[in-house]
Amino acid sequence: MSSLRIINIEKQYQQTQRKSDPAFSLQPVGLTINEGEFFSLLGPSGCGKTTLLKLVAGLLQADNGEIWVGDANITAVPPEDRRFAMVFQQSLLFPHMTVEDNVAFGLKMQKVGKKQRLADAREMLEHVGLKGFGLRFPDELSGGQQQRVALARALVANPQVLLMDEPFSALDPSLREEMRELLSRIQKQFRVTVLFVTHDREEAFQLSDRIGVMSEGTLLQVGKARDLYERPESRKVASFLGLKNSVEGIVAAGRFISADRSFDFPVEETIERGPCHLILRPEVVQLKILKEDPLEDSIQLSGVIQQLRFNYGFYTGTIQVGIYLLDCSFTSQQAEGLVVGQEIDVLVNKKDLWFVA
Amino acid sequence: MWQKTKPYLLLLPAVGTIVLLFFGGLFDGLLKSLGYFPAIGETRFELTAYTDLLRSSEFWESLFLTLRVAALSSVIAGVLGAAVAISLYLLNESAKSGTTQVWHRLFQLPLTIPHLVGGYIIVLLFMQSGFLSKILATIGFIDEIPDFPVLVNDPFGWGIILTYAWKEAPFVSLMIYPVLSRIHRSWRDVSRVFGAGNWSFIREIVLPVMLPAWTIATFIVFVFTFSAFEVPFLLGVTYPSMLPVYSYQLYTSGTLADRPEALAVNILLAILTILLGLVVYYFSKRWNVLKGWD
Repeated sequence: MSSLRIINIEKQYQQTQRKSDPAFSLQPVGLTINEGEFFSLLGPSGCGKTTLLKLVAGLLQADNGEIWVGDANITAVPPEDRRFAMVFQQSLLFPHMTVEDNVAFGLKMQKVGKKQRLADAREMLEHVGLKGFGLRFPDELSGGQQQRVALARALVANPQVLLMDEPFSALDPSLREEMRELLSRIQKQFRVTVLFVTHDREEAFQLSDRIGVMSEGTLLQVGKARDLYERPESRKVASFLGLKNSVEGIVAAGRFISADRSFDFPVEETIERGPCHLILRPEVVQLKILKEDPLEDSIQLSGVIQQLRFNYGFYTGTIQVGIYLLDCSFTSQQAEGLVVGQEIDVLVNKKDLWFVA
Repeated sequence: MWQKTKPYLLLLPAVGTIVLLFFGGLFDGLLKSLGYFPAIGETRFELTAYTDLLRSSEFWESLFLTLRVAALSSVIAGVLGAAVAISLYLLNESAKSGTTQVWHRLFQLPLTIPHLVGGYIIVLLFMQSGFLSKILATIGFIDEIPDFPVLVNDPFGWGIILTYAWKEAPFVSLMIYPVLSRIHRSWRDVSRVFGAGNWSFIREIVLPVMLPAWTIATFIVFVFTFSAFEVPFLLGVTYPSMLPVYSYQLYTSGTLADRPEALAVNILLAILTILLGLVVYYFSKRWNVLKGWD
């Protein structure tokens, strides 16, 4: 196994018959995925992540750019010779083959002897928790089991890179959780390089070593989950990662002033001057306890509670500050004394303020 | 009550006609093959026609010829039809233009031509003084027209086989194509990623998937060829003739007393067809190749 390098790969689709729909294009993407790394492409539907995955697989021809695995340029290598494996959104098992024949399919194509490939298939089925299911047909399995078989089929051939195109999106939430744990365990066990496509933030955050956020055919930002969440480089990235608290304003003369002037506080000199957006993560907005003096390194905001919702052990509140609605998290204890319509003060530590252009 | 029975009553004339003509004819044939023929004063039931038939060498030669012609016709039509269907499927997968539709229509063309006309086309093309032999003689591939092999009105039945192979191949492809079109488009991607080239994809996925439909289609061609009359009558020889022609010869050229034998041939044809149908049904159930669909 070696690293996967995507060098300025791009793809322009032909114009559809309806001239009003602009043709989709994948802007040049450059990316290096290290050996044994779990890398996710995260983005909304239609942003080009599956196109990029298919380009890497060789199922689509790139207009420009190169793909390298280690020292080998595989751009012109047909998909059947790349020694990659792929798990799709649907399991796409062959219905006329038994489970173990499905799993052994890749090995059969690699001309591995029948005895050996069936033994390998059974062993891999055991790894995915399907020991004894080998002689069944795909229609005798549940959706989750079918996707486990698809995973076993992909892993058994010892691929250079495992490509996964939203493999759990068709499963129900509890099964999805179970499959994520299984995939995470197996990926670490086999040290396989994974390029994973998803639109599910939680999934990407839970599984990935690094994440690439995509939007409208462009790779916007690459980084570790925490870096992306705490330091998004653009509003688009912030918005897709669920950071809705975005306040439009301007940095001038060492202060940030929002468009409606409800936010006005000093900022560090290092913050670039000019129009910008303040991004506030919900968990950094803290309820101010009565009579508590604001710390020097915090800013204080006053607002009215518009909404209060219970959310898995904590409360999500929506506070109106000026014309802006800010989401923030409260513990159950904090939320006990709060009611909708109440005026409250909140504090945000200055180190948690994040500005994007 | 009237609303419920109305559709059945409306269907009654059509159903009645079919029952009367088809089952009536079959039943009348069965009675006459058993010797019940009041027109010539025979009102007893006996198996004489069958025993005479089974003892005659003409019947057995005719039966073997019929089996050979039907088997070769259906196998050639089956192979051609499968090749056409797979080609159309692959063409459809790779090209998204209207070219596929043109090829579809072109391959379906023989379906629109009646069997008798198809047989006549084969005569014009393949007889020794036909179109093909003249072309081959003109370009010097053969010295003179009689050097062209006898393919029409030949004792082996090549003319009949050629006609049915040409005429029924589109039928087989038409039966298979809907099954192939159910093959998930992404299966091609899956198989490619896992290392399957075009031929491996056809061998591992396409052929097993289309096998049940292919078997049924080929069997239908076999049964049709086995009991068809007009093409063997036009392109066959007087002796040995295929069973339907043999039956016709017995029915028309002999006396009224030969008719039970002619009808016994038809009854035996029907019985053999049913038996073959049961065999194919048994195997298609046993293979269970449709397992996992839907």
